Amino acid sequence: MSSRSSLAGLGATRRRFLQHGLSAGALLLLHDSLGCAFRYVPGDDGLPRRYAAVVADMSLCTGCRTCEAACAGEQHAVQLDGKRLPGLANPHTANMRVRSFNPDVDVPATCALCPDSPCIASCPVAPDEATGRRALYRHPDTGAVTNDSERCYGCGRCAATCAEQRMGAIVFDPRSRRPQRMCTLCGGEPQCVRACPYQALSFQRGPIEAEFHGQPPEQVAQVLFQRWYGVTGGQP
Amino acid sequence: MSATGHCGVLLDVDLSSGQVSRREVPAADYEQFLGGRGLGAKLLWDLLPEPGVDALGPDNPLLFMPGPFSGFPIPSASRTCVVTKSPCTSPLQSPHAGASTVSYSNIGGFLGPEIRLAGYDGLLIRGQAAVPVYLRIEDDQVEICEAGELWGMGTDAFDRELEERLGAGRFRTAYVGPAGERRASRACIVHTAARAAGRGVGAVMGSKNLKAIALRGTGMPSVADHRAMIAAMDKARQRFKSLGGRLLTRVMRGAGTASVIELFSARGVMSVRNFREGTFREAARIGAAAAREQAWVRDLACYCCRLSCKKSGAVLEGPHATLVHDGPEYETGVMFGANLMISDFNGLMKAIFDGDDQGLDIISTGGAIGFLMEAREKGHIDASFLDGVDLRWGEVDGVLEMIGKIARREGVGDLASQGVKALSQAIGPHTASYAIHVKGLELAAHNVQANPPRALCYATANRGACHLNGDDKRHQDFVAAADCLGLCLFASNNGMPAFPGLDVDDMAALLRAITGSDWDGERLLQLGERVFNLERRFNLREGFARADDALPDRFFDEPFTIGRKKGAVLDRDEFAQLLEDYYEERGWDRKTGEPRPETLKSLGLEA
Repeated sequence: MSSRSSLAGLGATRRRFLQHGLSAGALLLLHDSLGCAFRYVPGDDGLPRRYAAVVADMSLCTGCRTCEAACAGEQHAVQLDGKRLPGLANPHTANMRVRSFNPDVDVPATCALCPDSPCIASCPVAPDEATGRRALYRHPDTGAVTNDSERCYGCGRCAATCAEQRMGAIVFDPRSRRPQRMCTLCGGEPQCVRACPYQALSFQRGPIEAEFHGQPPEQVAQVLFQRWYGVTGGQP
Repeated sequence: MSATGHCGVLLDVDLSSGQVSRREVPAADYEQFLGGRGLGAKLLWDLLPEPGVDALGPDNPLLFMPGPFSGFPIPSASRTCVVTKSPCTSPLQSPHAGASTVSYSNIGGFLGPEIRLAGYDGLLIRGQAAVPVYLRIEDDQVEICEAGELWGMGTDAFDRELEERLGAGRFRTAYVGPAGERRASRACIVHTAARAAGRGVGAVMGSKNLKAIALRGTGMPSVADHRAMIAAMDKARQRFKSLGGRLLTRVMRGAGTASVIELFSARGVMSVRNFREGTFREAARIGAAAAREQAWVRDLACYCCRLSCKKSGAVLEGPHATLVHDGPEYETGVMFGANLMISDFNGLMKAIFDGDDQGLDIISTGGAIGFLMEAREKGHIDASFLDGVDLRWGEVDGVLEMIGKIARREGVGDLASQGVKALSQAIGPHTASYAIHVKGLELAAHNVQANPPRALCYATANRGACHLNGDDKRHQDFVAAADCLGLCLFASNNGMPAFPGLDVDDMAALLRAITGSDWDGERLLQLGERVFNLERRFNLREGFARADDALPDRFFDEPFTIGRKKGAVLDRDEFAQLLEDYYEERGWDRKTGEPRPETLKSLGLEA
């Protein structure tokens, strides 16, 4: 009897603990879903200390392009009877693009969310007084490089800067005259990472030290030609 | 758009006139033949009503056929079927001088999906360009460009050169090597420098003075039921996560098709020493474990495939050091390895590279060289017949020399480029028993003395000896159906319920979602049967007969002398009975091998 009551007491405590714990967990989850876990936080020197990005491991990539299809599908998601479903869209519209080389090297390339974001630095639109944002800016929740197409006037410098200094992830669309293909991180659950059958992609938070991250695919390929095949590109 | 899930049109390019148009596909043809191999067979049947058309002449159409799965991220929906009239086959007798069978060859990679993204259910190439050209296709913009100095390039260097010319614009390309340019009948069409459609289709492309096709598209095929499509694709992916599915995935990722080199040798079902034996004592030296240790560095996948069976590697030492290419897979490793008694791994890598770079069908080329090695060993030919090339079992240098001569059609290479049937006829009837072909096409790396169902598979295949044809009627119908979809056979369960991979019901569910039509497994198998019968009728129209469903005498007269299956040989009476039963099951006349009128009627084919 006594043991039962003590068990009951323990049960009540545990229930309370669980209730509190769950609410705390729910809060944390909510917090996470709002993107705070990978918020862009500048350090003392003005450089960010925490950020997140999709990171590729070239040694695991098989060049299958499932990531492209998943990314294109996410961007063209459809609502059917109140349910959100991935779309079916041309993989060339994806923000993730796999570059293939001969000898066989495949480099999945998407916006690296570079902490120093030279693309944003190159944006000539004067910072907004209230928000401090140029036309191109970091989304406050996700850290994703985002374009305000109202304020952007289509100079294309961001895309050119990305191509010159980084990996050329940003594409200037000649029709809309706006930059495109910046990774959105899918609101915190990148679909390319989820879909990759080979675990070659990962969603990493915090300082990213992955080899090749943010480097031009051509440059990455040259290193891997040498490392994997012992050649400097092409047959001798 | 004529029917949901289909683009409704083919791109029709006449290289003689330079005319480019869109050819509408009748809705009834989609219902009956879907796409890929089936729709290709129907087009060939309609376009070549008169038998005997020269396979390497301007009238022979060359068809690149994806299927209704192509363009969607369905696992392993990466295949393109190249359909044309074969430049490799010939009947025992026919009133038509240029008689040959249908040819269809399946290629993986990224081509088929891109054809559909560009808005086509296929490419139809006709005529013959006045000068060497390549095609540049961007949606409905089609340009016929002069190939100029690109003509003559090996496939590996050409792959890079074309990419550079196209400006890293994500074009998908397919091209012929020097062998195809010279119309060597056993030429391939190559994609990504190592994937290939073989069985002669490259000679047809070369005969059109067409070096390459480069293509990209901005569209996307539609589906009838989006929700059902997402669900069916999810289910298809789950097929690779069951216990069996995980095993299949592990084996293919780990070793690709080379995973069975040692196994098939042990079982006595491998092509060894020009098909004299079924077991290769040195199989371990050319098998997957050796390849992984010595060469393979990467596993590569076709569009949205989970199996990554393609293996690229490098030779790091010896005379062929610095060579970078795909390592042996089952067919290339065995036809240039065990079938020629070659166990020098790096030499084998070099032979495979040369074969691919020249754009040669390695199955047929390995068959032709094996035949010549045996003829020389038996004293049926002398050194002068071989232009002094020292062809001996296990010696790779002579093989490399002969690959070059075949691709250039130089001296004995010209005759060898026409296959073992032509070689045997030139040397004499005493060589016929070891001229390993069916209907003029060389056998692949599967030997049959200890495998009677595979013997039936070869004898009854519509493109000549084909190892992927299927070992019985139901299997054949399954394969034909899968070949109409744009799906890879290796990602299917091959029609065997206990096996992992997509089954016929998974395929039907995807088709229902895409087309909105009431597909089920049985209807799909019936479609496969219809395709198989139409191809058969094409061959009959050309003058092929039941007597052409025959195997070389070797398989009946020369038992294996080594291995676990020592003594194994096919029994003539048993094989004849197997064939009889097969015709009966197919509803074909036992005497003529022709489909009976009621069979055709039940399949919806005109008598």
